[in-house]
This record gives sequence, structure tokens and C-alpha cells, in this order.
Amino acid sequence: MKDQGRDILLGSIILCVLAILALWAKSLDPVSSWQRAGMADFTLGFVLLAAYVSGRLVKTLRMPMISGYVLAGILAGPFVSGFLTREMTENLKLFDDLALSFIALSAGGTLHVKALGERFRSIFLNVILQTVIVFSSVFGAVWICSACFGFTAHLSRLHIISLAVLLGVVAIARSPSSAIAIISECRASGPFTETVLGVTIVIDVIIIVLFTLAMTAIQMFLSGGPGDFSTLIALCGEILVSLVIGALIGLGISFYISRAGHDLTLFLLLTGFAVTRISQWLGGFMLANFQLALHLEPLLICMSAGFVVQNFGHAGFQFIKSLDRAALPVFVLFFSLAGASLDLNALKACWPMALFLVVIRGAGIGVAAWTAGRINRDPSPHLHNAWMSYLTQAGVAIGLAQLAQRQFPEIGIYLTTMVLAAVAVNQLVGPILFKIALERVNEAGTR
Amino acid sequence: MKTVFCLLMIIFLAFSGYHLSFRHFKLPLVARKFYLTGIEFLFLGLLIGPEFLNIVDQKTLNGLEPLISLLLGWIGMLYGFQFELAKLRRFPVELLHAAVAEGLFTLVWMFGWIYCVLSFFAQISFPVKMAICIVLSAAAACTAQTGLALWTSFQAVPRQKMIIHLRYISGIDGMVGLLAYGAVFFFYPGTENIQPIGQFFVVAGISAGILLLYLLFTVVRLERAELVLIVVGMTVLTSGMASLAYFSSLIISFGVGVCLVNFLRDKERIFNLLVSVEKPVYLLMLLFLGLNWRVDLIWYPVAAAGYFLFRFSGKFSAGWLLTRSNPEFRPHPYFFGFGLLDWGGLPMAFLLEFSRGFPDTANGHAVSVALMALIINEALSGPLAGRLLRRDGS
Repeated sequence: MKDQGRDILLGSIILCVLAILALWAKSLDPVSSWQRAGMADFTLGFVLLAAYVSGRLVKTLRMPMISGYVLAGILAGPFVSGFLTREMTENLKLFDDLALSFIALSAGGTLHVKALGERFRSIFLNVILQTVIVFSSVFGAVWICSACFGFTAHLSRLHIISLAVLLGVVAIARSPSSAIAIISECRASGPFTETVLGVTIVIDVIIIVLFTLAMTAIQMFLSGGPGDFSTLIALCGEILVSLVIGALIGLGISFYISRAGHDLTLFLLLTGFAVTRISQWLGGFMLANFQLALHLEPLLICMSAGFVVQNFGHAGFQFIKSLDRAALPVFVLFFSLAGASLDLNALKACWPMALFLVVIRGAGIGVAAWTAGRINRDPSPHLHNAWMSYLTQAGVAIGLAQLAQRQFPEIGIYLTTMVLAAVAVNQLVGPILFKIALERVNEAGTR
Repeated sequence: MKTVFCLLMIIFLAFSGYHLSFRHFKLPLVARKFYLTGIEFLFLGLLIGPEFLNIVDQKTLNGLEPLISLLLGWIGMLYGFQFELAKLRRFPVELLHAAVAEGLFTLVWMFGWIYCVLSFFAQISFPVKMAICIVLSAAAACTAQTGLALWTSFQAVPRQKMIIHLRYISGIDGMVGLLAYGAVFFFYPGTENIQPIGQFFVVAGISAGILLLYLLFTVVRLERAELVLIVVGMTVLTSGMASLAYFSSLIISFGVGVCLVNFLRDKERIFNLLVSVEKPVYLLMLLFLGLNWRVDLIWYPVAAAGYFLFRFSGKFSAGWLLTRSNPEFRPHPYFFGFGLLDWGGLPMAFLLEFSRGFPDTANGHAVSVALMALIINEALSGPLAGRLLRRDGS
């Protein structure tokens, strides 16, 4: 209790000092490139430190640290204090990519073939049931109730169905990054943790296929013409190629660890980052030069690489240890930027609809997780707490919504606004509930 | 996109280069001595920079400025950590006087010569002239231990006391250069609206804030991962604030480093962290300097040779004066200054910060000349130090 009081006092003083420095920096008007670079540096340092301290503060309240990072991001972001402007957040996206690829490597590296084999039935059931039930519940609820909300009341029937399909698919999406961060922070391990991680990662893969399928269906539905299923085939090909490239990179990482192994953390960060950026660049390059739309999935590549290093060599332990070393700065930066990017205006615009969506999605997840646990004869604590582990949503959902917005501008703005609002709620509530679930099933602190 | 690729490439080159240069790569002894100085990274920077391949163009270079600031802050803090009073007190105070006197002598000597040369040959305004004189003389005043360390690692050296003296002076005299270098920020055009007294209070306020934060962060014992986060975050924050106040992140970080090493409980852990990436940071800095380097003017080599000769004569004279005036140094040969020629990372940091903070044609010339002089110096300082350190001194 005494330590808790000291931590709160210390954290508060540090935040005050940082706030004073931020006010001073904000009062300046950078004129030269040197000063502008200084402002970028200051912002980066401020975000890292303030988010870390906020994480520690919320930890004293038994909340996960990532909630503190997200909260710090929201407070410093463009919608509250405005210290971090949209432009600054965009500039720091560079680090976002770095963090995402790093998290994907971690996600792959956390999966053990043996454990997956043992939990196969449970993971399979959860994936199937959650996909079907969450989609159906959100689709049905949006279809039936959208007329009741002012935000969507004037949409045509066709558009409401399209919106419901897309929202249903996006609702299936999870946040592997949040799951990894919470598991890492709680030092959790055990069958419950492995199942949650397995389900989250598998859903992260199949969501891309489902989303493409939904887009094709809506295209057919709205235009009345035949759908272009070649896109779907191409997508499956791209996923396969991504997995193969990831496996090759994984072998390369294993080789590096066995032969050199120096500065492994930095090497892994650079590898992950390079994969992300080269994949993006390659897509543009192929389209510009060969009229070929090639979309390699950098996160899949990194996950596959991590999986191969962990399971097909002797470097798994060293690999995970090196990733753990950089985990804290990566998580702090990633989640605080995620917080700063949360669109509170969207939440303000359609909070009743967003809350409705969150509740329906949560209920769908609850029913699915309970049913899967029941069929699998999971122990009672797992059965009752599993739903809390699947609520968090983040970048994947937003990314999918933005893709759909580009494809279907007529309903895109509604979709994006609702998804942004729902993600804001889920990102705040999800990590807290996940931590509670891990504590209740007694898997926190067992690693 | 280009910035990202360049960032990746630069960091990768620095680290792979670190492993090649400092760990496993076995070249012949003569080549190794040169290679181990890391000068090849200067050439690499030149090759990929705007001057030749233009892989890293000026715009990209501007995009990488936050990384440069981080490097400068890192180096400043690392240098500040050398000034632990408890350790400095183990040496007689005459050594401190000697180091400061040697630094000051070289500084004044170089300042005088450079000022005369610039007044005679260059048509530049007084503030720019002063700034260039200060930077080049401050850089010349610094000495590094790299050459000594390399020399002693290759062969046994009997003159242990002289090595200790040389190392001590090399560790301390950079402070003279560093403090002198700070004057540039009060002189340079574009900073006229900044009042020196106001600037002083801003810098003092920033430093106090940073120190307070460090103290608060380290009240509780931090895990290694937390310490990494705090040190990186604080270094970035310090550099950012220094740049915002139009002051040197090197100097503020140096001051912070000095205070931390003397007052902080966790100083050893922070020092270990800073020093763990010292060599990659140094190589990155050389790479960035190479990117800023221009070699297209015919008079550069002549000016560089002149700059080297002025510095050489300054160091030689300072060494000679020490052996004549300071009893501690009396047993050493008259060419004691041969052991003080190595340049090291700190002057490189001055040049890098100066070239980025005050982008100007005249400054670009000055930095390019200094870099060429550095190469001449690296080629000659080793054999000259070897001559001093050999048993018979002949």
C-alpha cells in the first residue's frame, strides 16, 4: 500500500514536470529545420516517457499498463490536449510500422506446434463459432436496428445490408498486438492463454479472406453484376506466398542466430521493419511497372517467420528473449500512438450506435466462447471468463474499414465512423477485461 | 519511403560495420590500424550521399535529423559520464591543470591561425568567421584515446606512466573544446534575437528539468527494459529541447551526464547502457558526416593539409611546453605531443551538429576541410604515437 502511494505520487510529479516541458515546447514556434527536428525529437521522447509513466500509474490500480499507454495517447492526442497533432501522429507512423512487425514476430514466436496440437480442438471450435456467431449477431442487429439510430436512419435497404455485412466481418477482427502485450505484461502461460493466442492469430489470418469475400459479395449485391472471384483466388495465393516468404525469413533468422547472434534485438527489429516496408514498396512497384496488384501481407510474413524460428530450429528461446528485451519501448510507443489516433470525434458522433455494436459483439463473443468451451469440456473458470479475452480491437479493424470506405464510398463513411467509435471503446475496455480473465483463470504470473 | 530505406540502410551498415570493423574482420596489421578507426564509414557516407550516388539526398537527410539529434545527445551524455569527480580526484591536480592548459593552448593557437587565414582568404561576415574559427579550433583542441588503445592492444608498451598521462589528458581536454564550442550558438547569425542571458536561463531550466526527471525516474530500481526506455526517452527529449532552444544538444547532454555520474545511484547501469552502443553510434556519426561531406573543390586538400599542420604544431607545442613546465611531465620526451594527435568522436560530433544546425556554404566548406584533415591525421597520428611510445623514444 505504501509502495502504491509512492508510485502514484512519483508518477504524478513526473507527469507534471513533463506537462510543464510540453507547455514550454508548445509555446515555441520552430522556424529552422533544426528546431523542427527538435520538436519531432521532443514529441517522441515525451510520448515514450509520459505513456510509460501513465502505464505505471494505472498498474497501481490493477489495470494493464497498455491501458495507461492508450490513455496517455488519448490525452496527448489531437482530440483532447492537442499536444500531439494529427501531423505529428502521422510522422510517428514510421515507428508504428516498426512496432507492428515486431509484435507480429512475437506473435509467431509465441506459438508452439506442440501446444497448438494439444489445443487444436479448442482453437478450431472457437474460431468457427466466433466467426459464425459474431458475424450473425452483428449483421442481424445492424440490419434490424439501424433504422432506430439517427446516424443510419436515412440509408437505403441495400446500403444497410451492405453496411451490416461489413460491420459483421469487421466485428470478427481481433487485436493480436493487444493480446501479445497483455500476455507479455502479465507473464501469463497455460492452456487458456495458448487457446486465446491461437484463436486471435488464426482469426487475424482468416479475417483477410473473409473480408475479401464480403467485399466481393457486396460488389455483386450493389452492382447487380457477377462478382470477380479471381480476387479471392489471388488473395489466397498472396497469403500462401506471404507464409512461404515468412518461413524463408524465419530460416534466415535462425541461421543468423546460430552463426552470428550479435545485436539480435536490433537485427529482429530491422528485419520486421524491412519486411513491412519492402512489402508495401513491392506492391506499388509491381503495380506501377507491371500492372500487377501484388499485396504481400507483412504481418503474416512476420508471424510465419516467428513461428518457423520458434518451432523449426534451436533458436526459439534466444529469439523470444531478444524480442522481450525490446518489448517495453515498442509497446509503449505503439499503444500510445494508437491512443492518439483513436477518433473521439467519431465516438461523439455515433456513440449510441457504437455502444450498441460493442454490446452485441461482446454478447456474440460470449455465446461463442461459452459454447466452444462447453463442447470442449473446459474447466468452469475458463468457460466463464473466456469472452473477456476476445474483446480488444485495434488497427486491423480500422484498416479493414478504411479499405471498404475506398471501395464503397457511399456507405464507407458510416462504416469507418462506427468502426472507429467501437474500436475506441473496445481498445479501452478490452485489455482491462483480458487481464482480469488471466488473473481469474490463475494463468497470470506463471511464466 | 526513401527516408525509411535510408534509415534502415544506415543503421544496418553501422551495425554490420561495427561487427566487421571491431570484432571479427582480420585484415593485415597496417590496414587494420586504419580500418579500425572507422574512417571507411566516412567514405561510405560520401559515396551514398548527395555528392555521388545520391541514395541519401538532402531531403532525406533532413528527414533523418531526429536520429542525428539522438546520436548527438547520446555522445554528449557518454562524454559527460567520464567526469566522475571521485575518479578524477585519484589523479594529482597537476594533471588536471596540464590537460586544461594543453586544451586551451591548442584552442587559442588554432583560433589565431584560422582567424588569420580566414581574414586573408575568405570573404565572409564576421559572425560566420567567428563561428567557423570557434568550431574548427574547438574540434582541434580535443584528443581521443582511440589511437593509444589500439596501439597498446597491438603491442606491449613499457612506458606505462606516459600512457596514463596521455590517457588522462585525452579524456579531459575535450571539455575545453566542448565549452568553447558552445559559444557558436551565441554568435551565429539567425540567433541574434536570442538573448544570451535569456538563453542561459532557458538552457539552465531545461537541464534542471531533465535532471529532476532522471532523479524521479530512478527513485525506484528499474528493470533493464525500463532503464532502456527511460534512457532512450530522456536522451531524445533532451536533444529535442536543446534543438528547440537553438542550443547544442551535445553540451546539454554533456552537462546532464556530468551531473548524473556524480549524483545518481544508478549511474553504473546507465553508463553500461550508453557504452554498449558506443561504437555503432560513432560509426553512424561518421556516416552522417560523410553524407554532408563535399570534395568537389580543388583547394580543399591544401586547406586540409594546412589545418592538420596547424593542429599538429599546436599539439606538439603544447606537449613540449608541458614537458618543460609541469614537473609531472618532465621525464617524458619533448615530442610528448605526438601522443595527443588522435581526434576521436567528440570533434566529429561538433562538426556534425554544426553542419546540421547552421547549414551554410561557408560552414560546409569548413566541415569538409576538417574531415579531410581528419583523414590525414588518422593516417599519421598512429605512426607518430608509436614513435613516442617505443621504448627508446627514437
